[in-house]
Amino acid sequence: MKAEIILKNVCLDFPVYDAESLSFRNKMSDMGKVIVTKTKKNNSGGKIIEGLRDINHIFQHGDRVALLGHNGSGKTTLLKLLAGIYSPTSGSIKKTGETNCMLDIGFGFEQDATGYENIILSNITRGLKKEEIDKILPEIVEFCGLGEFLNMPFRTYSSGMQARLAFSSAIANTPGILLIDEFFSTGDLEFSKKSKEKVLEMMSNSSILVFASHDLPLLKTICNKAICMKNGKVVFSGEASEVIEHYQGMYER
Amino acid sequence: MDFFRKNCAIYDIIFSLKNYYAWSYLSYFDLKLKYRRTFLGPWWVVLGIAISATAMCLLWSTIFNLDWKNYLTYLFSGFIIWMWISQQVIDAPDVFSGVSSKYIKAYPNPPIFYVFRKCFLSFLLFLHHLPLIVIVVLLVNNRIESSVIYSLPIGLLIIFINAILFTVNIGMLSARYRDIDPLIKSLMPPMLLLTPVLWKPEMLGDYAHYIYFNPFTYFVGIIRNDLIGLDFDMTIWTGALIITLIQIFIYLFLYSRKSKRIVFWV
Repeated sequence: MKAEIILKNVCLDFPVYDAESLSFRNKMSDMGKVIVTKTKKNNSGGKIIEGLRDINHIFQHGDRVALLGHNGSGKTTLLKLLAGIYSPTSGSIKKTGETNCMLDIGFGFEQDATGYENIILSNITRGLKKEEIDKILPEIVEFCGLGEFLNMPFRTYSSGMQARLAFSSAIANTPGILLIDEFFSTGDLEFSKKSKEKVLEMMSNSSILVFASHDLPLLKTICNKAICMKNGKVVFSGEASEVIEHYQGMYER
Repeated sequence: MDFFRKNCAIYDIIFSLKNYYAWSYLSYFDLKLKYRRTFLGPWWVVLGIAISATAMCLLWSTIFNLDWKNYLTYLFSGFIIWMWISQQVIDAPDVFSGVSSKYIKAYPNPPIFYVFRKCFLSFLLFLHHLPLIVIVVLLVNNRIESSVIYSLPIGLLIIFINAILFTVNIGMLSARYRDIDPLIKSLMPPMLLLTPVLWKPEMLGDYAHYIYFNPFTYFVGIIRNDLIGLDFDMTIWTGALIITLIQIFIYLFLYSRKSKRIVFWV
């Protein structure tokens, strides 16, 4: 089955809750006011931030899509929407194919568990069985290069080592759709080179890749398509080289 | 079939049940982590319960002027079941906004998956307190009703289902309205005194029927009564089933509407 994602007029609003709107007591007293004075209040009580606006896009088999845009432009939000973590406020998303997402890759780790156990835990959370994990465990152990430290509790790791373990445990399954958020900044030179190679390898096994990064030379080599985002909107999309030029142009002007 | 696929309240339950391997493994591991770096492991807790229940039994049977043998089984079973139920209730508010929040924000498992993980952990904890009740009953009564073979598993299942439903419902409400958490935490200690755990309904005399206004009565009752050889009480089982139905309706209403918003609340 070929993987495909179709986004149609997708909008996503983030509610932002302040202390007052998180209080049930306030909600109750507000209800009282509505009944007594019949004045209508802003029903959610909180502010709303527009995360994504009117996204129309079709991701097809063979697409290696680069997501470009400055911080806060909606790249991660779009990735989380594609992953199924967020669902759109309006519009529709249709997805066929299994997803592997490497977004906040540090999830599923327990501070008191050892490196080995954490590899197993995070992959169990991803839906793998223990036997399947045992098969790929040697590869992960070799890839992360943490050696003896894998027998130590996770809380003793430095942040670089934590990042290594996080990335390594996420490489286990390569289904149709691969979503990756920028994370090469952590880890040392050797590891970031290694992980780039790994991503290339995983990418060749996957049907669709969506990749958010600021590493333009890398994006140029990997991706064939690109989307440039600004303030939650797609401002430009198409062939990777064109979009990357456009994106660079936005900052040179 | 299409209805099931579209309604996330049902779809997510089916997904979680299919993935039973994942959450049961995670709960089991949580249990293992809980006892890491302790010498006696789970037996500390069992020992603690045994000590406090025995002390309470000696004290209360003197105060109430009761036959301590009869009261011992009543209090032991009631107290241990109460510990499970109250722990479930106290843990419910931060099921989404607590540790699970980083999972919910990072990986597209349905939120109810983490409810199963949490409730199964409490269930496992209860399972290694359960032998204490059986031992005490055997020591005092010298026998255990044969009907326990049916009533115990059914009772456990009903409580587990209710624990899941309650945790989802309260978890969602308190993820959105953060003052539910302290409210529930302050309500639970007095609930212990209002539930027939330390005292028997007949001690209330004319007011005995008031215990049926307390939902916890039913859940403590469905497991305890048969275990310690009390008469079968239809009211208790019907009550438990009615509460389960009410919870299912609340769940279907809340979860199918708001489950996609949980990620913004936590």
